[in-house]
Amino acid sequence: MADKFESLEQQLELFIENTRQLGIIVSDFQPLGQGQNVLNQKINTMVSEMQEIEKFRPLLQDVHVPLEVFNYIDEGKNPNLYTKDCLEKALEKNEQVKGKMDNLKRFKGLLMVELTKVFPNEMNMYRALKGEDRLK
Amino acid sequence: MADPLRRPEQISPRSSPRDRGSRSPACPRPDSTGTLKTTISLGKNPSVKHTGPFYCVKDIPEQSEITGSTNLLHHYGLEHSYNKFCGKKVKEELSAFLPHLPGNIDTPGVQDNRYSSLRMLIEKPPITGKELSQLSGLALAGFRLHPGPLPEQYRMMHQMPSKKKKHKKHKKEGDKGNALSEAQTVDNASDAESRKPKKQKKEEEKDKDGKKKKKKEKKKKKQKHSPEHTVSHSGETGS
Repeated sequence: MADKFESLEQQLELFIENTRQLGIIVSDFQPLGQGQNVLNQKINTMVSEMQEIEKFRPLLQDVHVPLEVFNYIDEGKNPNLYTKDCLEKALEKNEQVKGKMDNLKRFKGLLMVELTKVFPNEMNMYRALKGEDRLK
Repeated sequence: MADPLRRPEQISPRSSPRDRGSRSPACPRPDSTGTLKTTISLGKNPSVKHTGPFYCVKDIPEQSEITGSTNLLHHYGLEHSYNKFCGKKVKEELSAFLPHLPGNIDTPGVQDNRYSSLRMLIEKPPITGKELSQLSGLALAGFRLHPGPLPEQYRMMHQMPSKKKKHKKHKKEGDKGNALSEAQTVDNASDAESRKPKKQKKEEEKDKDGKKKKKKEKKKKKQKHSPEHTVSHSGETGS
């Protein structure tokens, strides 16, 4: 799994490096030198590199990327911030739900105590019906 | 007789009586559907009696192994990831994540080109499915280079990745440049002064003070050696 990502990463880096070199050739073009030939070679190298990248397509069909992470990258932000935000949100929600559940359990306990005071017989029946263990 | 489901003793407590047609209310059967059951008797003295259990008797759902009250980060072994990303400060720039990429990648993708953002890959997907093939000599003729420098707008690519520090310096330089240009204009001179950093201001003030002191000292020396000084001095002494 990690190997295919690493090799794709290497391939992409190679492609980017060739694009950079292509930019240098174009910006520093010498009409008397071999600039045009080198450029033609580079363009075809890029095409072959794109073919190599294309080969990774079937290997990465099962990879799912959250769309929200695209916004971070498009805004020039570190995508690790997305992971950080997700973890923080998950923890916050987890704490909220735990708080709710704890409070409901406490409320249930108090309600049982108070109901037993007012309706002792009914509550005994209720306990007998439900079973003491399940009420805890 | 052939249908065993019609026997009341074999009916599951969870099964709904509606599925099997109407049943006599006189037939007792366990119920855990949580519905409120009543017996309505008509006649001389009509009455409504609650015969079934109230809805609180509804079965409590089975407790699942994982609930919202369990520490989910701990359960899924994400504590290390949490400490990694939330324990220390994560650098906000994209260049911190991809340090080897050439060019300035910290600018929003929408700014430099309308189609260079990743979101545009989804909104306006590129043409795919065509086979990539090497360009022929004729096709390469379209990429013929022209001598001369590249136009300014296409020089973005050659900014090196080590621009981070340079960028900061450049910003300061830019500010200084702005400040200087503004200082040249008479109207905005005070604004430019206010924009200068404190250190620079202090140094300038020191320089000014030093210059003033030097001027004063020079004046004193001149006055000492000047004939007027000697005259006034002698006049004073004479009086």
